[in-house]
Amino acid sequence: MEKSTIVCRCEEINIDEIEIAIKNGAQEFDDIKRLTRCGMGTCQSKICMNLVRKIISEKLNKPLGEIAPSKMRMPLKVTRLSALTKNIDLCIEEKATLEEGEQTSV
Amino acid sequence: MSKRYDIVIIGSGVIGSSIAYHLSESQQEEVLVIDKGFPLSGTSGSTQAWVWVHSKAPASYGELSMFSAELYPILEKKIGDVEYKRTGGISPFFSESEREKALMLAEKQATVGIPIEVLSQEEVLSREPALSPNIVGATYSPIDGNVNPFRLVELFIRAAKKNNVEFSFYTSVTSILKKNGLFEIETEKGGKYTAKKIIFAGGPWMKELASLIDIKVPVKQVRGQILITEPLTNLIKHTIAGMRQADNGEVLIGYSLEEVGYDRRTTLDIIQNTAQMAIDYIPSLANANIVRAFSGIRVIPEDELPIIGEIPNVENAYISVMHSGITLSPIIGTLMAELLLHGDTSIDLQQYSLSRFDK
Repeated sequence: MEKSTIVCRCEEINIDEIEIAIKNGAQEFDDIKRLTRCGMGTCQSKICMNLVRKIISEKLNKPLGEIAPSKMRMPLKVTRLSALTKNIDLCIEEKATLEEGEQTSV
Repeated sequence: MSKRYDIVIIGSGVIGSSIAYHLSESQQEEVLVIDKGFPLSGTSGSTQAWVWVHSKAPASYGELSMFSAELYPILEKKIGDVEYKRTGGISPFFSESEREKALMLAEKQATVGIPIEVLSQEEVLSREPALSPNIVGATYSPIDGNVNPFRLVELFIRAAKKNNVEFSFYTSVTSILKKNGLFEIETEKGGKYTAKKIIFAGGPWMKELASLIDIKVPVKQVRGQILITEPLTNLIKHTIAGMRQADNGEVLIGYSLEEVGYDRRTTLDIIQNTAQMAIDYIPSLANANIVRAFSGIRVIPEDELPIIGEIPNVENAYISVMHSGITLSPIIGTLMAELLLHGDTSIDLQQYSLSRFDK
């Protein structure tokens, strides 16, 4: 495979960068993430995680099952900040800005 | 056979790595850095990474922080681009009654040369228009800024390796014995090393680490939780007490402190409070998208001041543990290298000695 093949689309990280991180001692997905930003973007590693785990598994000669997945964190999906507050007024304001047809009952 | 080193550093976070790099500049000593995990898997990789000076008290501690902030541009010339930006720092207040405290802070910090302005509401909003009109004023200093902690630690390590420092990651130290004036270090992996001098840079794990040589280090673990937005177009210019915007446009938000041991989970109550704080400070953030919450365990010495220098009663053993490792890493690396290579430091570290807790 070309070294320039993109593995993490959000942060545009290619295979070469991942292999260099492994060469520098990275053993887990999150080790590579902190060195390269692979998996740190909008999708939060949903696309690249298993691709990267496979590369680690091959390079370190370990079964795929032994390569820890990335640590998933709330809110899991991109979420509007106002929806994370406890402030009800903000949520109402939010609702008022929706198109009429999109309004849903709470 | 155990491998011999002049100096072994335990901990490869921002402090251990900085000390390793600064020691390596002279290329006189054989240095090994041991870490139980991988760089950035602990405290140094889970921070907003402010280089924060202006509200650090007492003033002498503020001064040390200022000296460190001043070293960043030089450090960047030496180890490479760590995305250091001297953005200026704004610490807003929401009630007129705080203005007096702000003026007192400015007066105290002026005695050591930290420039602070106490801003009116109009001045705050003209400097940082995205801030809420509910803010009545702020303290401001041009010396504050921020840095990319991932690049910082990685480049400290890379520069140290170039100067022949060795690193051993995923290596837990299990015992340290002193025999015939040398430290004998054993690791979980079965490695054996001897060292003439040893430096403890274990951050939040310092208590357990120091217990290997029967030393008590009075520190506590504190969890901080942080929210990250999607990349946004330029919204915040300054480092604001509570948030900052990175080069790639992400805004990092959070100011929580909880004493929950080593528990690194993120929790809904703190996420909700943090989201509310974000909107209280910058109303337009209500419409920003959050991609992730994260948390880190920080270390705070019991009197909140750094613990730096020789370990009393254990000759050739040294310690460096502090809350604001990102801010202080350039000066701590510099001073620890002076102490180990020349036996003396250009700034007196007496007030930061571990021995102060014996009194």
